Amino acid sequence: MSSIATDLLGDSPSQTHRRPMLPPVVRGLIWALIAFLVFNTLMSEVLDRMPYHPFVTRASVTVGWVAAVCAWLLGVGVWEGVVRPSFGFPTLWETPTDWRKYFMYSTDHRVIGLQYIFSSIGGFLIAGFAAMLMRLELMNQNLWVFSNPGAYLSTVGIHGTVMMFSVGTVGLVGGFGNYLIPLMVGSNKSAFPRMSGVSQWLVPAGIATVVLSPVLGQWTTGWRGYEPLASQDPAGIVFYYLGVFALTTSSLMVAINLTATILFKRAPGLTWNRIPMFAWGMLTVSLLNLIWLPEIQMTFLLGLLGAVIPFPYFTQVGSPLTYLEVFWLFGHPEVYIVVVPAFALWQEILPVMGQKSLFARQWGIIGLVFVMILSGMVWAHHMFTNMSNSQMLPFSFFTEIISIPTGFAYLVVIGTLWKARLRLTTPTLLVLMSMFNFLIGGVTGVLLADPVVNLQVHDSFFVVAHFHYTIIGAMIFSWFAAFYYWLPKFTGRMYSERWGKVLSVWIFIAFNVAFLQMFLLGLHGMNRWVPVYPAYLQPMNFQVSLFAILLGIGFVLHFLHIAWMWRHGPRVEENPWRSKTLEWQATSPPGDENFTTIPTVVRGFYDYSDDRPAVSVDVHADAPQGAR
Amino acid sequence: MGDIVGFAVAWIVTSALGELAVSAVRRGSIYYYTASNQALDGESAFGFILVMLVPVVAFIVVMLVYNMIRFRARGKEILRSQAQFYTNKVFVTVWIAISVVVNLLFYLHPTASALEQMFNGEEARYNRQDLIVNVTARQWQWLFNYPQYNITQAADANGNSVMFLPADRTIKFVLRSYDPFHTYDASAGVIHGFWVPAFGLKQDIIPGETRYLYIHTNKITSYDVNPMVRVQCTEVCGPGHPFMEAPVHVVSAADFQKWIASQQKQQQS
Repeated sequence: MSSIATDLLGDSPSQTHRRPMLPPVVRGLIWALIAFLVFNTLMSEVLDRMPYHPFVTRASVTVGWVAAVCAWLLGVGVWEGVVRPSFGFPTLWETPTDWRKYFMYSTDHRVIGLQYIFSSIGGFLIAGFAAMLMRLELMNQNLWVFSNPGAYLSTVGIHGTVMMFSVGTVGLVGGFGNYLIPLMVGSNKSAFPRMSGVSQWLVPAGIATVVLSPVLGQWTTGWRGYEPLASQDPAGIVFYYLGVFALTTSSLMVAINLTATILFKRAPGLTWNRIPMFAWGMLTVSLLNLIWLPEIQMTFLLGLLGAVIPFPYFTQVGSPLTYLEVFWLFGHPEVYIVVVPAFALWQEILPVMGQKSLFARQWGIIGLVFVMILSGMVWAHHMFTNMSNSQMLPFSFFTEIISIPTGFAYLVVIGTLWKARLRLTTPTLLVLMSMFNFLIGGVTGVLLADPVVNLQVHDSFFVVAHFHYTIIGAMIFSWFAAFYYWLPKFTGRMYSERWGKVLSVWIFIAFNVAFLQMFLLGLHGMNRWVPVYPAYLQPMNFQVSLFAILLGIGFVLHFLHIAWMWRHGPRVEENPWRSKTLEWQATSPPGDENFTTIPTVVRGFYDYSDDRPAVSVDVHADAPQGAR
Repeated sequence: MGDIVGFAVAWIVTSALGELAVSAVRRGSIYYYTASNQALDGESAFGFILVMLVPVVAFIVVMLVYNMIRFRARGKEILRSQAQFYTNKVFVTVWIAISVVVNLLFYLHPTASALEQMFNGEEARYNRQDLIVNVTARQWQWLFNYPQYNITQAADANGNSVMFLPADRTIKFVLRSYDPFHTYDASAGVIHGFWVPAFGLKQDIIPGETRYLYIHTNKITSYDVNPMVRVQCTEVCGPGHPFMEAPVHVVSAADFQKWIASQQKQQQS
């Protein structure tokens, strides 16, 4: 029984008695199915009968889906964990201590963090498989994997949507953020553990919704759900809106929780001047989420109304450009939501690996904060091809100057590495690779910020290469760095350096060969969203596909390596990297409580000029060893 | 001091090699194939940015590699670094100053200067002799009509849309998603993107709006010479999106007149 859960539920273990029930995930699925059938039938047969009375209509599937998601959440444990206690009933719920705790509602931020990590790995593998199908199709200039372009475009949409909303936005924030932030700020729990427990279960629901969208029909808009095309797409677009709604709601709840945790749950002495870099990254990214996610959710609701009622806001009789504008108003901050945690990670990992004090720390923080602020002022650079001339200059200006705060992350890292004693471990390599990749993404971003150049390469594979450099190149590589860096924290075990390095070099080469060629494809006239293209582009597309498939295999091998070492890696000491940050002062893996005594922070975490710890008490002297 | 010298040498050598590579690329063609003045402008803006960025990129890459090799830990033991410092005012100041200056430079040139040139090219007073081509984008075909010559739909012998343009002439493309010669459902229009890769510019076509794109053709060429001389839709517009392309022929003034005559004849028949 997790002591955290008992605290929250307000009763003691002696009162709980277990009554037999289905595994929570299975029960959630059954409840969801029942709720869907009941509410769908109610809508399509009773309340809103359509001509020829189809059993599933756009309206009925929407209502049925909302009911199904609520039932799913209740079924995985929200019923026992949140609803019943709220009405004063005693809980009849026992949290298992073995692997089963990861397959049910939980209030333990570490369980939730790992659940988020598993969910985003699932999304990554599914959306990655979609990418493999796309690259297979593009090996040939004719249709040969897909029977029609609509199927290809639906795959593009599923790939982009699942990657952005369940991996890019979630992997480092919902996953590593939930696990590490309370540990890093010296707290035993996050600010809103119950809400956090609910929010995680929206992720699998959202991924499943988007992946199942072809059941309702194809949708051809890609991850942007571009109007007015979306309004005339078949009904698959309904599941796009609903799935994204679930995923963004989840990220919004994570943002609320992490912001409050960092603001209010800090240990004594953990002043603003001492907040760890990764926590700064989580704070800025959570503020971005809080500002921009509600905006896009409302936009998608309007789109959903357009698909269901219909309510043609964004067609020619309304204003098609309005959709593009509000989409990118969110869409560009979104890519910084993806990459800002990576910037923070570089500055978190490298001082530890170099055993050298963080250089120009305040500029690193200024960089994160100004990227956050400026990201809302650059969005229309996605629209140089459809804006008026007068708008080009200001948006071009802001887009170019956002490279200044972005550069501060490099400034900090370069100053930190100079004359360091850098251990060339797998996380170090992955961070350096990530920095190289983001540099390429950033430099091509400067080119794209120039309107005259943009008008040639926009909507071509040049842009595809550019944003994959920033997202795979920076965020995914940093994500893997985080896996390797914190694996000893999660498990108390170490990975194999040799395999970690070999696989990192593998993905680095495969990634760069595949995506550097995409820049050339774009310059050579390859436009986006095409399963069929002119024959002269085929040879280079074939090579890109080969290396993309190698990249995919490399990612899978990384996960297999991590999974194997999770169980079978050699045990290591509790602070194998000699970090001074708080998460490494707890046991690895942490016991029932992160800290039996809440530590008092007496100095910054990134000063390696001496061996003095940053905390005043030995926080785990009396913690149970090896407790899981 | 030795490290600074070592790094500086590596940086200068790398930058020099990078500049050599960029100038080789610029002597060829960054855009692979160009057929308009606008494409040449864009290409030179692209090249200018590359030339300026080579030392910047080289600085970061050489720094990362140099630090990784030179300052790597030797041996298994985890030791604190001997050198510990928290900032370096000179380095930070120079870094910020250079990043501000480089960004302002890029904003002035090529961003503002090239845009000024593009905006000027769109001034009415420079465009009295333009050839006007009405471009209609719809799911999923391009329709071209030439109002100055009363050609309502330019097509080849098989009835497929085709665009002929005279060389060394400014073309004013009028971009719409409807035209008066075809039936049109206002609620069904979607966004398309008008792009001829060899012309170096593109413009989206928004339902219900009329937009303009100006190109000055600078050579005789065609889709048969280089496949980049084609109209290609660049904004996803449904399952037919990949098939939304049309060949372009840039011909001499005399050949253009001949083609006009044949189109007019074809239209009357």
